[in-house]
Amino acid sequence: MVAILIIPVVTAFICYVLRNARLIGYASLVGTAALALCAYPTVTASISTPVADLGGALSMDALSGYIMAIVICLSLASAIYSISYLEHELEAGLIDLRGVRRYYGLLQLFIFTMLIVTMANNLAIMWIGIEATTIVSALLIGLGFHKRPLAVEAAWKYIILCTVGITFALLGTFIAYYASTAVMGTEGALNWTALKTVAPRLNPVTMKLAFIFVLVGYGTKAGLAPVHNWLPDAHSQAPSPISALLSGILLNTAFYGIMRFVSIVGPSTGEAFTGNLLIIFGLISVGIAAIFILVQENYKRLLAYSSIEHMGIISLGIGIGGPVGIYGALLHILNHALSKPLMFFASGKIQARFGSTNIANVNGVLSSMPLLGTLTFIGALSLSGTPPFNIFVSEFTVLKAGVDRGLWPIVILFLLFVVIVFYGFLSGFGRMLFGKPEEASGLPAEDHHVGTYNAGNALSNGIMIVMALAVIVMGLKVPGFIDSTIRTCVQVLGVN
Amino acid sequence: MKVWLEAFSITDFISVGILLTAVTLNAFKSIESYVKAYTINSWLLSGLIAVVAVLVGETHLYIAALLTLATKGIIIPLFLRRIVRQMRVTHEVQPYISNSVSLAISGILVAVVYASLKDGIFVTGFSKNVLQISIAVILISLFIMITRKKALTQVIGLLFMENGLFLAGFSLTFGMPTIIELGVLFDMLMGVIILGIFAIQIKRAFASADLDKLTVLKG
Repeated sequence: MVAILIIPVVTAFICYVLRNARLIGYASLVGTAALALCAYPTVTASISTPVADLGGALSMDALSGYIMAIVICLSLASAIYSISYLEHELEAGLIDLRGVRRYYGLLQLFIFTMLIVTMANNLAIMWIGIEATTIVSALLIGLGFHKRPLAVEAAWKYIILCTVGITFALLGTFIAYYASTAVMGTEGALNWTALKTVAPRLNPVTMKLAFIFVLVGYGTKAGLAPVHNWLPDAHSQAPSPISALLSGILLNTAFYGIMRFVSIVGPSTGEAFTGNLLIIFGLISVGIAAIFILVQENYKRLLAYSSIEHMGIISLGIGIGGPVGIYGALLHILNHALSKPLMFFASGKIQARFGSTNIANVNGVLSSMPLLGTLTFIGALSLSGTPPFNIFVSEFTVLKAGVDRGLWPIVILFLLFVVIVFYGFLSGFGRMLFGKPEEASGLPAEDHHVGTYNAGNALSNGIMIVMALAVIVMGLKVPGFIDSTIRTCVQVLGVN
Repeated sequence: MKVWLEAFSITDFISVGILLTAVTLNAFKSIESYVKAYTINSWLLSGLIAVVAVLVGETHLYIAALLTLATKGIIIPLFLRRIVRQMRVTHEVQPYISNSVSLAISGILVAVVYASLKDGIFVTGFSKNVLQISIAVILISLFIMITRKKALTQVIGLLFMENGLFLAGFSLTFGMPTIIELGVLFDMLMGVIILGIFAIQIKRAFASADLDKLTVLKG
């Protein structure tokens, strides 16, 4: 298990010392592929039985294995896509060799910090990991800041808001530690595995206070409204492969922290307390996102608000609870992590072609770039929750959990918001995909980025096709091994 | 030594000092004084941890006191002073509200904290007052962050908030295990360095270190 943590650090170092822009991209790809190969046996082992290493400091059960598998797959996709993205940025003069070295070094460190979060057996170490993701990703958002003042603004808001938020999470962690030392002494008082066994005996009043602080703190990082303000800025200003990682997996690692806390706070305070808070935050997130999606003029910000919506749905699923609700939420994490990065990858290519992130400046993508247009169309249909795509399946599962529990007001509000999102999202992307491409836009007629055949472009198109296929397959039927993994995760979270 | 420390309730004195240094932020006009206030605040925090270490007699608390002194008391203030010099800011803090109103609001914040926590809901630590003071420090520093314009005042507000948080941590649990404290302090240090870098970039990109220039991204 230690090797999983060492590989990204070594790759980061190699990427930083290499001096050839092209070579660095492939070095990062090879490093990430090695990471995936190395992690594969550990992840599969952790899903059947919990595994531990370093004297119990690292510990993985099915839930950590599930999240880690998503993190690693998406990192691999992002490493593949980055090659062509950065080649284009280099050609366009938006970044220099130093920027490329920094980009790949930081990308690998970013992966490393997210892996720490999934592997840590300790509340506080997990906090350290989540705070480290903020620091590294802020640098990635603000990368190349000499030419992009807006990126500095986005990075500043991101790091200030998330650090303040996460400071509250540390206070919550302190309070939880205080509650657990009262029960079990200081030895191992912050370990999940130990806390889970004593969870019903923890002082409920103290744990309530701890959970509120933790929910606000990690909720800021997970993009739950009303503390989501950093998210649209950061996601729209970051380089596209980084937006994909921020949205697809960073939000999930923060949410993973919340889920872990729910599983120890729940037995102490009763499920209703954590559930109601999560439902409230979830509904507010979906609602606020729906309104902003309706009026959004910038497609990268549109995607960012869609992330807030989907985080809200995950929060609703966990809040509604029961095996069906949790299953829906966990499935939604995977589905969102497939569709959203696909869309960010596609939007990176659209941005490179049209030179604008404004919806009004882009049209006719489907007829001028058939492959990219089709992939974007699949992603847009999936993200808006159209059947028979994957997001529909998990949204429906969450909805069913709500109906089963008879939470009608929540179900009705949820349906209303989802319909608004459906309209806003598809009308935004519809305007970009259809219509006649403008000839008089002053851009070169030949498609210099997407159409040219080189290894980087072939790879990035390949990974997008694979993701689109996964989106379709997950919509038709959840594959057996994913289904059984999620069922094990539901049991790990203590719901039967 | 231990008897002497207890007899004069030194912990209370030091924590009041920590609160007062946070309150003084409301009155200062220059960023240099902010950095000085932060330095004093960190030294007091480290001193408090050392006093608790003597009272409880735990080795890991001595280490924590030294670590706090090294990072918060020496490295971060030196770094901040360098940034202030490099940015060549006008050194005026320019609050959105006047200093007297700001002071009054801080006073109200402290009163609210004392009123709402007066029964000491769950604290059995070495001093009930310390938790209240730490929450008050956190609130005051949040207030400073939202009412001041300069990028660096936000960074210092954040640092004060983290000092308040550490104080809360110590009043609750006598600190975390050393390895975790190391990790938290390291994260903090990296965070401050990166915020410093971005503050300089803001100054370059917007030709000003005022945060009210950062209003392009919205909606």
